[in-house]
Amino acid sequence: MPLRLDFTLDPETYRHYLNGHLVVMHSHHYLALITRLVEDLKDMGGPEILRDVVEETMRAVFDDYIQKNSLSSAQDKCNVGREYYSVFGLGKMIVTGDENGGEVRLLRSHLDEGWLKKWGSNAVPVNHFTCGFVAAMFGAAFNKPVKTYKVTEVASIAAGSTESKFVVKTS
Amino acid sequence: MTVMRDTVVKSLAKITVQGDENGLIPEYEVLVNLLPVSLLNTFAERIMAAAPPDKKAQVEEGLVRAAYECGYHTGCGIITSEIFNDVVMPMVTEGEKDILRGAYAAFTAWGWAKSGIVQLKEGERMVIRAFDYYEADGGGEGLRGYTLRGLSQAFFDLAYADPYPDGMDTHVCHQTKGIEAGDPYGEFIVVRK
Repeated sequence: MPLRLDFTLDPETYRHYLNGHLVVMHSHHYLALITRLVEDLKDMGGPEILRDVVEETMRAVFDDYIQKNSLSSAQDKCNVGREYYSVFGLGKMIVTGDENGGEVRLLRSHLDEGWLKKWGSNAVPVNHFTCGFVAAMFGAAFNKPVKTYKVTEVASIAAGSTESKFVVKTS
Repeated sequence: MTVMRDTVVKSLAKITVQGDENGLIPEYEVLVNLLPVSLLNTFAERIMAAAPPDKKAQVEEGLVRAAYECGYHTGCGIITSEIFNDVVMPMVTEGEKDILRGAYAAFTAWGWAKSGIVQLKEGERMVIRAFDYYEADGGGEGLRGYTLRGLSQAFFDLAYADPYPDGMDTHVCHQTKGIEAGDPYGEFIVVRK
């Protein structure tokens, strides 16, 4: 079932909304630099902060859509996250798995391709953003609390792989 | 004729973006993303709260830097884009000054900040006032208009520093007032470094 997209504009403030959620545009420079910032702040848990914030805020977006559209099957609910990922311009993903976990492959990735454009290949995976996004997607699909799923990036376009791969396990 | 702000805002505000068949948004010579403001504001709040006192300046600088480089590179793409050329450039009669006016109309139209130039000494100093900007909604302490600081610095560099891409880091932007701090508007001042 394709994601229903309702773009609206507040004529007074010019704020933009997608399906009722305030959204704003940035570029790969922004997300790459936010990622580098959290990498530089590893000693204070920077990557975990980014993952947690993405999981919590995206989960609210997915749950809201699922509720408003009365979706019931795990597949339909998971598809909400997968399609939002592409609508947001974050890339193209293939998702497999069940409530015990699974795997997500990125065929295209805004963050990874942006990182490569900006700095070239990195020694290790850096897509903390998508780890949080995938955790939110699985949580919403199987109606589990936030932080149920631990997501690990095991292959990375930014680190030279042709596709990125994320392993999802219950934590 | 100089840039007619309302006309530009209304024209640019109609534009919506979403991912193509690859889930990407290639526009303005960059890859664009569209993200919930709740995510951006919560991240800024949490990362600033987590930083010990001796690292808060580094984290703040990192948030501004992300917006600055985004603004500098994307800004160049915007002011050379077909839409800017169609909507803004026909009204440009005062060179860089009008291009900056067009840029702040774009900031308003695209939901970054309902903002405009209130003082401009070309190449030296610019004062911006913003009456609505998404970072004012976020939690935290102190002035938190990191994005508008970075974007203002970027566009002043694009207008008055060496031509792209050699003009980076020529100017700096300080925030002096903020809705998030109880002021009626955000105020941002760009000066030479």
